[in-house]
Amino acid sequence: MTETTATVSVMVVDDHPIWRNGVARDLAERGFEVLATASDGEAAVRIARTVRPAVVLMDLNMGASTGVEATGRITTELPGTRVLVLSASGEHSDVLEAVKAGASGYLLKSASVEELVDAVRRTAAGDAVFTAGLAGLVLGEYRRMAATGPDADPGTPRLSERETEVLRLVAKGLTARQIADRLVISHRTVENHVQSTLRKLQLHNRVELARYAIEHGLDGDPDE
Amino acid sequence: MSTSTAEDTLASTMAPLWRGAVLFRVGTFVFATMGLLLHQSEYQRQWLGWLVLGVMAGWTVFTAYAYSRESGRRAPIVVVDVLLTLVLIGLSALVLDRGYLETPRPTITTVWGASCIVVAAIHGGQVGGLLAGGTNALVSFLVRGYFTIDIVRDTVMLIAVGFVIGMASTTARRSAMQLDQALRAQAATAERERLARSIHDGVLQVLSRVRRRGSEVGGEAAELAKLAGEQEVALRSLISAAPPDSSVDGEVDLGPQLQVLATPQVQVSVPATPVRLPTSTATELVAIAREALANADKHAGPDARAWVLLEDLGDDVVLSVRDNGPGIPEGRLAEAEAEGRMGVSRSIRGRVADLGGSLALLTAPGDGVEWEIKVRRGGTE
Repeated sequence: MTETTATVSVMVVDDHPIWRNGVARDLAERGFEVLATASDGEAAVRIARTVRPAVVLMDLNMGASTGVEATGRITTELPGTRVLVLSASGEHSDVLEAVKAGASGYLLKSASVEELVDAVRRTAAGDAVFTAGLAGLVLGEYRRMAATGPDADPGTPRLSERETEVLRLVAKGLTARQIADRLVISHRTVENHVQSTLRKLQLHNRVELARYAIEHGLDGDPDE
Repeated sequence: MSTSTAEDTLASTMAPLWRGAVLFRVGTFVFATMGLLLHQSEYQRQWLGWLVLGVMAGWTVFTAYAYSRESGRRAPIVVVDVLLTLVLIGLSALVLDRGYLETPRPTITTVWGASCIVVAAIHGGQVGGLLAGGTNALVSFLVRGYFTIDIVRDTVMLIAVGFVIGMASTTARRSAMQLDQALRAQAATAERERLARSIHDGVLQVLSRVRRRGSEVGGEAAELAKLAGEQEVALRSLISAAPPDSSVDGEVDLGPQLQVLATPQVQVSVPATPVRLPTSTATELVAIAREALANADKHAGPDARAWVLLEDLGDDVVLSVRDNGPGIPEGRLAEAEAEGRMGVSRSIRGRVADLGGSLALLTAPGDGVEWEIKVRRGGTE
């Protein structure tokens, strides 16, 4: 889409050196500035604080240290840093948790280099990178929350009819442009709908976490 | 490791029965001792009476020890147990005179003699119990030498005890085996998950790297990349396939069964929470998805991609399969169907109808083909 007017700084987090170095090299060759790499969530948070990359490419399946927790901490502490989850298929609940924790997108590890480069650019630009798989997960999550019955928390986020429609089309593999054509709306509106589904989910997650913390007397954050 | 687990499960299930048998034997031994002290003055051969009681004491102690551990619960010991008891019961004929035996007073062994029936039934099931009970009753009858209603009652009781305890033992053994099978299945699943993790963490990472790098380098490397890519997909399907015994109450999670269909060209989207359906419905839906994907593969061209989406609406489950191929030209479907050629459409329609679901087919030239199947949950069967 847009040409790289400014170089995008990235950090690659993955516990597999072959993969980590490979992705770092792919991105460096295509003009990205790879600031750092990390092999676990703990190190990722620490290093991200110092180097402040625009985009963190986060693997979720890293043994003991969870990429989900690191995603949550990075997106809360560093507003200028976005997290793009790069994960293998079949880690559904983890991907969903990472997105709720603040990740702005999800890409399969089997994606091609072109798709990866495009996704990193879009993440840096503030767009949500939605694969069909992520759309299916997010749809499922909203429906799960809606299915908890009439006594559900009134603060539970819901999808508008349009948002549901858009998400379903994303999950069926249509591109933003194809969706815009089919629904006769602008490309930008499609992007906005997609982003709003994520934002509502993330906001709800933050509220839930805060409520949990207050109920359990954990709100006295020593850092503040 | 796993065989000892099976034996452990069996042993721990049978242990209470054996403890009961030992307790019964010790209790009846105390009873027999009291009987001897009370009636010894009437015995023909008192010394032999005490000798029999001594042997009973020794055997009671030995078997209490043997049957308390797994290694002692063996057929030879049980057989000796039954035979020895029969001999001891038989010796009553020498200890007691005819006059004594013709009254309903107890023999030397009294109820202790029945404890071997319990042991035989626990070890040998119904057959063991019946054999021990039958011979026990026969010898008791021979010692008395006559039939009364009391003796008949004893005979029936002895045989019934053997049979009932034998049945209990067989049932316990069977449930122990079933428990063991369940534990094994669980262990197999855990092992499968462990293997899947290590394949995912190692081999798959390398394969996908080779695939990507190779296709960039091109030439011969691209060929290797293609091979690596094929193996990557095959392995992914293999490790993400749900174990066959994942069904509970005849229901399965449709999600993992669809995920196996993923390839570099096919993306599968399912909710993070399980989508439980009756096994037969799930199997049919997977078959439908396979058929729609096979059709896409055939008609949409090699570069086309396909998407499978599973949605759980609570009362309904919706399965969508879409490809981005050239689509079916207008009129083509009806025309082909009239000629009896459009096998896929008809076959999918038939399957959906059998499930009592509804089918929507969306297609336009250049816009791919989209199947949407909606099935009511727990509705039509």
